[in-house]
Amino acid sequence: MLVIRRRAGEAVLIGDGIEIEILECTHSQVKLGIRAPKQVTVLRKEIHLTGEQNRLAAGPLSAEGIERLLGGFRKV
Amino acid sequence: MAEILTRQFGPLEYDPAAVIEFPAGLPGFEAQRKFVLIERPSVAPILFLESLDSPELCFPAVPISAIDPQYELAMTPEDARLLGSDRLENVVCLAILTAAPEGPLTANLLAPVVIDPQSRRAVQAVRMDKRYSHRHSVGQEPACS
Repeated sequence: MLVIRRRAGEAVLIGDGIEIEILECTHSQVKLGIRAPKQVTVLRKEIHLTGEQNRLAAGPLSAEGIERLLGGFRKV
Repeated sequence: MAEILTRQFGPLEYDPAAVIEFPAGLPGFEAQRKFVLIERPSVAPILFLESLDSPELCFPAVPISAIDPQYELAMTPEDARLLGSDRLENVVCLAILTAAPEGPLTANLLAPVVIDPQSRRAVQAVRMDKRYSHRHSVGQEPACS
């Protein structure tokens, strides 16, 4: 992983069309400004992970799949 | 009553007033806006979010309290705006379940499905913090016999 130190007001460029500017830094958060071409999707990583997880979760489920799900909630 | 031919349940009658609208879809399924929640006593507490836009699509879910009774909901202002509700104490929170044949049984606690029962609007509210996992492990896998 490339690591670069930047201060508020400074920026990095990625490829031809993407610019990420550090707008504001506090002790717990960094505020980024992102300029990118329209066709580039910019997402919080958590949203991307949830999209992947949703694709894995999407049914229909087999009877065995439902049985497995139920197994997770049976009181032993 | 309206009817839809689903892959999971075959022909399914539903009350049009019970349709749940996701104004922004769900991550990975942004075009899916209309769902119904299907409860079958035989598989409680598991519920199914059945898409009316794609009858082959259905998400298994469970009330989040069945996994973590202490779960604390946190929504971004954008998600709260989509839901159109500030009354978070009245919302229904579900966790989508994943049971891939080769993977463990998990629930997405990072991104609960939040439904306002009054307006019938819903969002999958992806948290900003790392307090909960998108692959929270659920229950005990049955031992091999």
